[in-house]
Amino acid sequence: MVDLLQLVFAGLSQGAVYALVAIGFVAIFTVSGVINLAQGEFAALGGLVAISAVGSGLPLLAAVVVAVATVAVVAVLMERLTIAPVKRMTTLVSLILTLGVSTGLKALMLLVYGPDAEGLTPINPGGFTVGGVSIRYQELWILAVAAVVSAAVYWFYERTLAGKALRACAEQPVAARLVGISLGRASLTAFLIAGCVGAIAGVMASPIYFTSWESGLTLGLKGFVAATLGGLVSVRGAVLGGLLLGVLENLTAGYVSTGLRDAVAFLLLIVVLVARPSGVFGRSAEARV
Amino acid sequence: MGRRTNPARFVAVAAALTLGLAGCSESADTGGDGGSADESGPITVGAVLDITGAGASLGVPERQALELLAGQLQAEGGIDGREVELIIEDDQSTEDGAAQAMNKLVNEDEVDIVLGASRTGPSLAMRPIAEQAQIPMISLAANAAIVDGSEWVFKSAQNDRVVIERMIEYMAGQGWTTIGLARDASGFGEGVQEIFDEVGAEAGISVVAVERFAPDATDFTAQMVNLRDAAADVNVIWGIPPAAGLAQRAYAQLGITTPVMQSHGIGNQVFLDTAAESANGLVAPLGRLVVADQLPEDDPQREVISTFVDDYTAEYGEGPSTFAGHAYDGWQLAVDALREVGTDPQALRDHLEGVEDFVGISGTFTMTPEDHSGLTKDALVLVTVQDGEWTLLPDQGA
Repeated sequence: MVDLLQLVFAGLSQGAVYALVAIGFVAIFTVSGVINLAQGEFAALGGLVAISAVGSGLPLLAAVVVAVATVAVVAVLMERLTIAPVKRMTTLVSLILTLGVSTGLKALMLLVYGPDAEGLTPINPGGFTVGGVSIRYQELWILAVAAVVSAAVYWFYERTLAGKALRACAEQPVAARLVGISLGRASLTAFLIAGCVGAIAGVMASPIYFTSWESGLTLGLKGFVAATLGGLVSVRGAVLGGLLLGVLENLTAGYVSTGLRDAVAFLLLIVVLVARPSGVFGRSAEARV
Repeated sequence: MGRRTNPARFVAVAAALTLGLAGCSESADTGGDGGSADESGPITVGAVLDITGAGASLGVPERQALELLAGQLQAEGGIDGREVELIIEDDQSTEDGAAQAMNKLVNEDEVDIVLGASRTGPSLAMRPIAEQAQIPMISLAANAAIVDGSEWVFKSAQNDRVVIERMIEYMAGQGWTTIGLARDASGFGEGVQEIFDEVGAEAGISVVAVERFAPDATDFTAQMVNLRDAAADVNVIWGIPPAAGLAQRAYAQLGITTPVMQSHGIGNQVFLDTAAESANGLVAPLGRLVVADQLPEDDPQREVISTFVDDYTAEYGEGPSTFAGHAYDGWQLAVDALREVGTDPQALRDHLEGVEDFVGISGTFTMTPEDHSGLTKDALVLVTVQDGEWTLLPDQGA
């Protein structure tokens, strides 16, 4: 029982990181239909910038702010330089474009930060034990931050006029333009949100899971699978998907075989795409703009 | 510093070679003068290293060591007046990357000898190419399978079997009989459990639980929970940093108090940084390099090690890891052979096989036709970690 709880808890905190990355996918896809394969790189970049900022003497909080701001700028630049100029954006074109950006970002991170994996200083190091289950403070931070960020993004997209306007762009681009919504600005806002959320994911994950120039690949893949569980359009679905994925991975590693851990995500992806392509958790989201 | 040849030149040279040698590539070797070797041009040494990917914490210091040594040799005027060119390739810590890089070095660059790879898996991928092309290769990795029955392949890191003999010796001294093993799922951890059981049989020591982790894994909760449940006398984490450090961390974090031993794969600063205070008290058999300043005055390796540590530190501002030491040994073995017998591959191979009492960083090498690794368990000392520093264990358990 203790083992089960331990595995589930570790899975939840890992899943919360996937969830944050997944929210980034959703934030962009719901607005512009773009699948941003550089979402994982946003997280890796966020972690690396924060680590080097702390290394150069900034206090942790300031380093986090610098990291989030840097990634936000990168995301905005990416949108302006690679997404906005394309006249007829399709999902396929977006995949190719963002894959290119992702590769470029990876090369750049390797060049600037070198090949080693490093961890950011945790907010409070160490942890404690409850009923045999050991918990790291950082895991609680990850869960708390993921909860706040996902609630904020959910509230913005579902409950505010500006957020609804953004989502209208994907579903009825012509109608959206007719009522005076700027598609360009909407897409820019979406990337800004995705950049910030991605950076936060990277910064939160770094103290436990470490960051290197290539950690974005796995994070991006897992985040994408989590987002797919919500049909790529539901923040709630993405969060549930991320947590589910994290827990399933850890249970598989603990009870079946550690070698299968990374296979879980892809098995899940295949099952979902075959059985419920619109997502397991996100069915109602499309009808309610 | 790096003697990397620029890519444009490669293309030109490769194109010229393909055209020029198209008809006579195979027969050219029979003269025993393999590759490009005329006896006056530059000598080329190829290296395949894990510069990016899971093995980066090994490959980067190895590259630095090789570049440093190549620069020093250059300043001395090369070997017998011949320039020595070092060509370093990154295998991205993958098997196919290593095979590709090896093919390139052998076929395009026509190097005289190859160093690498940094880890077992990539080294195993390079081995058949070396054997087939009949080019001497010195791996920097651990698993004995790399040189088992090989003709052209040698290695400079301590064999895992030798390491395990040292560990079993210590366990027997402590009265431990059961081992919980968490091992790297790639080539480095392959066969480790079997060797533990085999070497430990006499002392009644056996492995009772095995957990695996990918070399780039980041979460170890599941493996460590299972180790905790196995309740062995001692747990062994067998991997390389950062994974080995993260595993150590998860171990301590779950509050497991069973003693831990680690392998010789952890001899670098990355491990100490990753594991932080959780490393305190672990025991690992490592090369003497990490405790260079604590060696007794009469240690035969002391001078070689301290010269290397000083040169490396002066160049890079940080001490060398044991992996840099493996690269040093590989390079010096190669240079020694090149100096003695020139670039004829068969002569090089024969010379390497006859190496005797060659004092290096990882130990004193004596190769034989049966043993292409050349190190015994005397090449290792038991080391523990105290407050983020490697410390020679007072009780060497032997």
